[in-house]
Formats: sequence, structure tokens, C-alpha cells
Amino acid sequence: MFGELLGPKYLHWLFDGFVLTLILSLLTCLVATGLGFLLCLARISPSRLWSWPARAYLALFRNTPLLVQLFFWYFGVTAMLPEGLVMWLNQPRSLALGLFDIEWPSFEFIAGFWGLMLYTAAFIAEEFRAGVSSVRLEQRAAGLALGFTPAQVWRYIVFPQAVRTALGPLLGQYMNALKNSSLTMAIGLAELSYASRQVETETFKTFQAFGFATLLYVASIALIEVIGQGLARSKWYKQGVL
Amino acid sequence: MDFSVIGDNLSYFLLGAYPDGPLGGAALTLLLSLLSGLISAVLGLVLGIALVLLDGKVRWLLLGVLGFLRAIPVVMLIFWSYFLLPILLKVDVPALATVVCALSLIGGAYLAHSVHAGISSLPPGQWAAGKALGLSTWQVLRLIILPQALPMMLPSFLNQWITLIKDTSLAYVIGVGELSFVATQVSNRVMVHPTEIFLFVGLLYFVFCSSLDLIANRWVKPGAKTR
Repeated sequence: MFGELLGPKYLHWLFDGFVLTLILSLLTCLVATGLGFLLCLARISPSRLWSWPARAYLALFRNTPLLVQLFFWYFGVTAMLPEGLVMWLNQPRSLALGLFDIEWPSFEFIAGFWGLMLYTAAFIAEEFRAGVSSVRLEQRAAGLALGFTPAQVWRYIVFPQAVRTALGPLLGQYMNALKNSSLTMAIGLAELSYASRQVETETFKTFQAFGFATLLYVASIALIEVIGQGLARSKWYKQGVL
Repeated sequence: MDFSVIGDNLSYFLLGAYPDGPLGGAALTLLLSLLSGLISAVLGLVLGIALVLLDGKVRWLLLGVLGFLRAIPVVMLIFWSYFLLPILLKVDVPALATVVCALSLIGGAYLAHSVHAGISSLPPGQWAAGKALGLSTWQVLRLIILPQALPMMLPSFLNQWITLIKDTSLAYVIGVGELSFVATQVSNRVMVHPTEIFLFVGLLYFVFCSSLDLIANRWVKPGAKTR
């Protein structure tokens, strides 16, 4: 079972998978943070026109499994889209950016990113909301009494404190996004879990294949943890400058 | 949109091949959730209490194991138990058992920290008072600490169970015939209407999870923070 290590070819597969996992998670976290923030604003808005759709979104996306959502986007929505658009999405092409080119991602990547991003955004919105509700209402009243405009109250009083409170849980959601990116293997995206499964099938070195992938996951989660600790200890966080 | 594909395969979605074959579909999803929910609750309680009572190296070891379980994706743990349990135990372990094992371990690892947090949130005077009355550590825990801490932990248990219901869909990766697996089977067989199929399956999960969520919200005091 233990035996020798994996050949360089298989290590290469795993490494490629790991890079894809990292790119997918990073992109997801970036976009989902923006969308999550907007969702949070909509959810806490006094107007029902905004808050009810946001409520529905949060309930739907948080209470269904990510795997089913990915299947829905990958199989379900593709069947509904006009043929021309699907062709266009599938077409390989590259974007020349001077020194290096960016390859158009595979259709699996687009579907995986879309599904994972929408799912993660729902959880991030709730973390932001918890952060905002941790700022007491009296603080807003005090801000208004000091002559701040409502926008300034948000910018200088509510927002900095909310982000501070939400930082820990937010990093937790980033970790979840990294772990959840493993589900995109079910729609055929060759990320780390997919690669480890492939290496296992080909070499029968179960222990090495999964061990290596597990190590990479644990290392990246540990890295996020370390970054979180660093941020919490930083001057920026302690003084609440934003 | 044509939902006749749902009606035609309804019993397959809900029960799998049962009664002619093994149980599957939504019923298996519920069974998996129930089993791993129960085991993870017991595991979480035991490990959480262990976190409170233990100290020194053993506690660090336990923290390490819990941290490891929380750091790896559920899919990875399912692979580990699916491919390695049979090798280690030298017996054929059914796929269903490996899924329950993986989900219980992960759920237990998360709950252990909730239980630990719940117990530590009680003032230390409670322990001291119990000891002063001549109770043993176990008696203090059983008669004084847990009756106060357990109601506080209930929301995190319910949240974890909701996550668990969603995570049972990952049994798909090793071919256990639960709801998501059955959905892809039907979708591959009929080749048309994947949108309707996955919408319907999503709706089923939504009903399962949000009914637990409703219970959770009813029990959580307003303003109490959930994980």
C-alpha cells in the first residue's frame, strides 16, 4: 500500500490540478465577496423590492447542495441556452495581453466558477449581514446627530466596524470555497480532487495519490489561517483604519 | 419546460429501485442524513467533552485531528474512507457505510468545537459550586453543566445537520444511489429536460433543509448568533 512515491508524470497531474483549484478558488472568492456585499446591502435594505428577492436568493442557494447547483448550471442551463451562445462559450480562443496570453477557460471551468461563486456569495452575504448587525443602531443615530449624511455614516462608522467583525467568518468562508471547489470534479473540471482520483485509477497508489492531494489542501487552508492570524495582529486591524 | 419527466420517474426519484432493488433516491438521502446526523451528534458530544476535560499532549493531539478533519474537503474524506477502509480493515466495507463514516467524522469534528464552546461559555463558578457540593467531575458535567449547555448548543447542532443533508449529495462521487445520483441517472437516461430534473431535485433538498431551518429559527432566540 505504501511502497514507492508517485512518478513525475503523476506529480505533474496533481500539481496542475492544484493550480486549477487555486485559480478557481481565488477568482470565486474575489467575485463572491463583491456579489455577497451587494446581496447583503439588498437584504438589509428597508425597501421590500430589494430585500425580498435577496431573501429568496439566500434561502434558495443556502438550502440546496452545491453539487445539485453545479449540475443545474452545467447540464440544466446549458440545455436552455441558445445554441449559438453555447458554441461561443465552448470555443477555444485566447486573449493577448502583451507579455502573456490568457487562454479562454473550458466550459467546465465557467460552469464550475459560476456555480461555486453564486453559492459562496450567499454565505458571504450572511457573514457581512452579521457584521453589520453587530454595529449597534445607536452608533448610526450618533453619527446622524453629529451631522454626518447617511452615506457618510455608512462609510465612516458602520462599514469599518462591520468589516472588522466579519473578517474572521469571511476567511472561514474563503476556506469553505477552497474546499467546495473540489465538487467541480463532478462536472469534469480537472482540479485537485479530480486529478488525485485520476492518478489513483491509473497507478493504484491510493495512499500516495490521496495523501498528496490532502496535504496540498491542508497546506492551503493553513496558509489562509496564517494570513488571518497576521491580519488580526496587524496595525490596520487593531486600529480599525479603513 | 416540460415536467412530465418528473411524474414518470417520481417513484425512482423518491425511493430508487425499491421495493424491487436497493433503497435509493430521496429516501436514501434522508436515511444517510439521519444516520450520520445521529452519529455525528454523539461523536461531537463525546469529543467536545473530551476537549473540556483533557489537557496536555492528548488534547493537542485531539485538536490536531479535529483541525485536519475540518481542513480537508468532504470529497477527499469520502475517498479516503472508500478506498482505504477496505484495505486497512481487510473486509469489504459497503459504500453506504463509508459515506456515513466520512460525514459523521466531519460533522463530529465541527460539533466538537460547538460543544466545547457551549460548555466553556458557562461561568467557572458552576464547576466550583458543583465540586464544593461534593459531586464528582462526571456528576457536575451530567447534572449541572450539560443541562445548561445543551440548549445553548442546539442551534449549532441544527445548522450542522442542515449542512449534513446537503453533504449527503457528495455520496454521488462513489456511486451511492442517493437523490443526486438518481437525478443524474435519470437525466442521462432520458437525455432531455435536465433543467426540470435538477430544479425538482433542488426543490426536494430545499424542502428538507428549510424545514430544519424553520425549526432552528423557532428555537433560536432572536438576536442569538449562529455559526
